[in-house]
Amino acid sequence: MLLLEGFSTALQPVYLLYALGGVFVGTAVGVLPGIGPAMTVALLMPITYALDPAAALIVFAGIYYGGMYGGSTTSILLNTPGESSSIVTALEGNKMAKAGRGAAALATAAIGSFIAGTIATVLLSFLAPVVADLAVGLGPVDYVALMVVAFLTVGALLGASVLRGLASLALGLFIGLIGIDDSTAQQRFTFDNPNLVDGIDMVLVAVGLFALGEALYVASKLRHGPVEVIPVSKGKNAWLSKEDWKRSWKPWLRGTFIGFPIGTVPAGGADVSTFLSYAAERKLAKGAHKAQFGKGAIEGVAGPEAANNAAAAGVLVPLLTLGIPTTATAAMMLTAFQRYQIQPGPLLFENQSALVWTLIASLYVGNLMLLVLNLPLVGLWVKILQIPRPYLYAGILVFAALGAFSVNFSPSDVGVLLVVGILGYFMRRYGYPVAPMVVAMILGPMFEVQLRRSLQLSQNDPAALISTPFAVVVYATMGLIFLGSWWLRRRQAALEAVTEKEEVSV
Amino acid sequence: MSSHALTPTRRPTGEILFALLFVSVGAAGLLTAGSIPIPPSETGIGPRAFPYIVCGMLVLVGTGIVVQVLRGKVGQAEEGEDLDVDAKTDWIALAKLVGFVILHIFLIEPAGWPVAAAVLFSGAAWTLEAKPLGKAILVSVAMALVLQYVFGGLLGVSLPPGPLLEGVPFFHG
Repeated sequence: MLLLEGFSTALQPVYLLYALGGVFVGTAVGVLPGIGPAMTVALLMPITYALDPAAALIVFAGIYYGGMYGGSTTSILLNTPGESSSIVTALEGNKMAKAGRGAAALATAAIGSFIAGTIATVLLSFLAPVVADLAVGLGPVDYVALMVVAFLTVGALLGASVLRGLASLALGLFIGLIGIDDSTAQQRFTFDNPNLVDGIDMVLVAVGLFALGEALYVASKLRHGPVEVIPVSKGKNAWLSKEDWKRSWKPWLRGTFIGFPIGTVPAGGADVSTFLSYAAERKLAKGAHKAQFGKGAIEGVAGPEAANNAAAAGVLVPLLTLGIPTTATAAMMLTAFQRYQIQPGPLLFENQSALVWTLIASLYVGNLMLLVLNLPLVGLWVKILQIPRPYLYAGILVFAALGAFSVNFSPSDVGVLLVVGILGYFMRRYGYPVAPMVVAMILGPMFEVQLRRSLQLSQNDPAALISTPFAVVVYATMGLIFLGSWWLRRRQAALEAVTEKEEVSV
Repeated sequence: MSSHALTPTRRPTGEILFALLFVSVGAAGLLTAGSIPIPPSETGIGPRAFPYIVCGMLVLVGTGIVVQVLRGKVGQAEEGEDLDVDAKTDWIALAKLVGFVILHIFLIEPAGWPVAAAVLFSGAAWTLEAKPLGKAILVSVAMALVLQYVFGGLLGVSLPPGPLLEGVPFFHG
């Protein structure tokens, strides 16, 4: 019934307008090539600085889903591969668009996203309070266990090279150390520089790595010439046929139930779930439909898109109930919450229940708006895709600089942004994933506080770290997750090998 | 996806230097962590333990990457929609962009945010070969004014309007 109260706030006309604005801006920015969901949230943070907390959360809910969805339009309509969470959509979606079925691909993606998003949000509404209740009883030792899992999965699972992932993670931890120690109030690595005492702001690092780093990297190897967007055909035949509906609804549901659980555990978030869903659809397809895979099978768009959105909602479970971000996008959401003195965690549902339920209600609203906005506005998204690249990247630079400056209204922050951006450039160039760094910077200080608290309580006996049943279960599960993920990675590699072979043979 | 990793034509000097950067940050951290003061009341592992672990990790992982690269396992550069994977790195464009960001930083306070933003936008558009340049400059001015109006005026983010626009009331909140 708290959810109903949430709805009563979220459905006020002003807040509906905010939700609409958030979804619209989130999708528009998410559609821009090269801009993933994490970067969308990071870049759009300044627009909420002056809003009240409820309005800001509503806008963020819209941006979050909009940014997640925007990427699929890009990968379906643009002739080049997109960001990782929608790359699977590109496999079949792009082929469909080339065959003149672009509208159907966009429609199955939009409807699938809506259905998956709605079911996953329902699951979130039921699961989150239960998890929060359980989490109230967790002690520092249990948190240490949970965060060890989050670190290892984020650092070791993302990206092609484990060592580079861990390097990125360690650098994020190091940056998180700079400033005042939370437990003893001693300065660490500040070198008596007053600007470093408060630490380096998360927004600067995130915008620097995601936005500036990406802009510099693309600028260094920019593809010149006109942008090729596949035209979306209009007319009756272009829309979903009865046959398409029949082929889509099962993948939508399967995608939902693959995506949501994977989102809730720290196992790589949306990327892994889309690959799994694609593999499942490919395996389950029969006869002529199976032969269509690699040439534009609608199941290959419907399933992964649903999985992507369901995982996006799943990620919110550990974020809201435990305060633990498991993806870079979740880390950005956490940063945004913290600006409003909202500390996600088990107490959030007790202390600020009105706000949480407003957020969850606005997820439902945002999802519906996404569906309503997306299909009629395809023409607009195509226009956005065609923005000349010099303008696009110049615009990203200006927005990144604006975001950095508006943190403290200090030009020197833009200098920090530039340094981080150059770092982000080289990380991309040499194949270091940037997401672990962002997540580590947020998780590191939380982890240290809990670890030191656990050790203090046990007079520095490290055995205390496995003293609770919960922690033991978590560590055991972690072992299983690693075995499972090793298997997943092999599946993913095998899948990529297959699709690559097919691309060559086409 | 992985097909480009098979072309080891690039000399990995830069990559080794970058990995050594991680090693040196870690080493510097290890050397200075010993000077973090420990309050006498501290009974736990104290404020130095975590820095030692993290910096040690940086040194180890960085060294591991250097070894990997020397053995021929180079990193896989990221791909993207607007990237020409086969293009040579345009260092001049990079230097120009970095230069324009620095110019932007030094312009914000004396000239005002809209001027600084317009300079950054048109500079970046010029670097990336926007044509015609006159149009890019017009776009940059329009965008800077709109952003100043939306953020400074409507959303109440205090961007300095600068001496040129100081007298215009709707540019600040």
